[in-house]
Amino acid sequence: MITVTDLSKKYGGTLVLQLPELNIPKGQRFGLVGNNGAGKTTFFSLILDLIESTSGRITINEIDVKSSEDWKPFTAAFIDESYLIGYLTVEEYYYFLGNLRGLSTKEIDTWVLNFESFFNGEILGKKKYLRDLSKGNQKKAGIVGSLIGSPDLVILDEPFANLDPSSQIRLKKLIENIAKNSEITFLISSHDLTHVTEVCDRIVLLENGTILKDIKTTSSTLKELESYFSLKE
Amino acid sequence: MASFSVIDSFKLSKKKFFRAPQWELKLAIRILIGFLVLYFLAAFLFLGIGIYFIVQKTVPDQNPVFFVNEFLIYYFGIELLIRYFVQNLPITDIKPLLVQPISKNKIVQGVMLRSLGSFFNWIPMVILVPFGIVYSLNEPTTYTLWIWVIGVLFISGINNFLVFFINKNRVVALSVFLLLLAGSFFQHVLGIPLLSFFGKGFNYLYLHPISIVVLLALFFGIVCAQYFFLKKQLYLDKGFSQKKERIVGSDLKIFDRAGILGLFIKNDIRLILRNVRARQVVFVGFLFLFYGIIFFSQKVYLESYVMLIFAGVFTTGGFMLSFGQLVPAWDSEYYSFLMCQNIPYRKYLESKLYLMMFSVVISMVLSLPYLYFGLKIMTIIIACAIFNFGMGSFITLYSGAFNATPVKLNVKAKAFENTQNFSLTQLLFTLPKIVLPVLVFYVPFRFFGFSAGILGLILTGLLGLLFRGFLLRAIEKTYQKRKYKTLSSFKKT
Repeated sequence: MITVTDLSKKYGGTLVLQLPELNIPKGQRFGLVGNNGAGKTTFFSLILDLIESTSGRITINEIDVKSSEDWKPFTAAFIDESYLIGYLTVEEYYYFLGNLRGLSTKEIDTWVLNFESFFNGEILGKKKYLRDLSKGNQKKAGIVGSLIGSPDLVILDEPFANLDPSSQIRLKKLIENIAKNSEITFLISSHDLTHVTEVCDRIVLLENGTILKDIKTTSSTLKELESYFSLKE
Repeated sequence: MASFSVIDSFKLSKKKFFRAPQWELKLAIRILIGFLVLYFLAAFLFLGIGIYFIVQKTVPDQNPVFFVNEFLIYYFGIELLIRYFVQNLPITDIKPLLVQPISKNKIVQGVMLRSLGSFFNWIPMVILVPFGIVYSLNEPTTYTLWIWVIGVLFISGINNFLVFFINKNRVVALSVFLLLLAGSFFQHVLGIPLLSFFGKGFNYLYLHPISIVVLLALFFGIVCAQYFFLKKQLYLDKGFSQKKERIVGSDLKIFDRAGILGLFIKNDIRLILRNVRARQVVFVGFLFLFYGIIFFSQKVYLESYVMLIFAGVFTTGGFMLSFGQLVPAWDSEYYSFLMCQNIPYRKYLESKLYLMMFSVVISMVLSLPYLYFGLKIMTIIIACAIFNFGMGSFITLYSGAFNATPVKLNVKAKAFENTQNFSLTQLLFTLPKIVLPVLVFYVPFRFFGFSAGILGLILTGLLGLLFRGFLLRAIEKTYQKRKYKTLSSFKKT
């Protein structure tokens, strides 16, 4: 799905990310962990062609993200609140996204019903602008927005942060369900080691912009990660 | 409690300024604006000095003070209205101070004192003090004159605080406007001197200086009220909370048929309806419609076609210029989101272009009353509209690619502080938008006369339309090329 070759990103001489090689196969749930400044968001921004790489290239389905825009129809992301249009209501936002991805308003109306339990009655039909929702509810709205139109690749930055405990658990189930029933590739970054090891089948640990560990998730992965991060103290 | 003084609060403002993106440029613009403010102050100063002599010359048998009193109600009414539109309490700036060991009294005092520095409070002082000096040099006066001056200044002070009460209350602002309008209608059309009562009131202040206590009481009353009001507002669920907004513009089904383009147009309409800043800009664009009156009603300007073309371009292109120069900054809050959506850049730009073109058509229709000034003026307006429609819109869209300062959508722009989206490149780009129409008119006009000039404007507009595809592609490429730069500066808010 995603192929990274010789990728590097420098800010004014400081190397913030260096990935000589990385392959993410289709259907994988790829987890990215690391302390602040490790390069997680930089990596996501490079995949989405929001910043320019210093060297190397990224391809999604063989499409070079820098020279073509053809990856956009099947790629979706929710990085932070700036991925919402603050002056729209949730429904209007979903219609906008859905229509862009070729769904009709009616199809979207029935599709969002799948997420009723995740929304917990706090999102739909509230007659509120997105900018007036709480941080947690904004996040829920954004995550579901990124799933509209069943994209092949979904990138979520810190999806568990700001969510209340019940929503965190529901989100885990949601992702597992989708993964079971489809071939969607997930890229998820998180500071919550428990959640990310439960949801993802592969974990990559970044530090100072380089890959320190690349693990296929097993029952001992959480311990391994925890021992790494506690040694850092 | 640690001492947090007014000076500290100024220091915070200073840091906010110097650490903003492109602050060097903003500093230069501030200096420019500083000169502009000085110019205005100087103009008012000369007005203040001159009033006495003007009144002496035109109505020698009237006391100049009484003459000035007649106008004060208009002045303060209009002042209140302008304040309503542009003056804002800097209350959000102080949110981080709430949990610091600074007493609430200090915070409120800081906010209120800072509001007194407003430009509006300087104008009456700069007019009335020189007026008082000139008056007392020329006529025997007593202290009553100065009591009067101080009294009138206090009215400006009352306005200063009053506006924060009526802020966000459209009804009050509208009624001030309507009362003023009705008052002058009664006064000048029906001959019932309603507004003169106010003038008489000010005369009373002059004749019976003791009545200043009424104004002082009012002033201190409103200061106290404001003080306690603000102190109560210093809670997250009060002054900082946002009122639940009514949803407007939800039914825009007519654009569904336009496909992807319709999606963007729907968003843009909602952007305008639902965000303070956008509404402000649209309002400014609306005011431009009246720009023509200044030029078309004066004999001096009617001689010079250059001025008439200027007027025509601004009258029909006000919205286009004021809204269009902030494309793509309008979408700065979620630009990175747009950039990774399944969106063809071209459609995005096209929708903005159509919005601008549409506004030109609307402006032209609304300009039809200018027919009153004659067929020639109307011809100029229509030709300028065609120019704006076909060429001006493309130039505006192109120039937007170089404007990388983000817009805060739901925050009011302040008077003389509207540097948020000002940049040198934008200034340079106003040249083709304004000079080009004059040029394409003037060159043929010089050689072949008026009709040729008009034809020049129309042809340039049509040329733009003819090469629409080519121009859009070129603009699209420029936007693409500047994408990363734009993205990174939109991130800095």
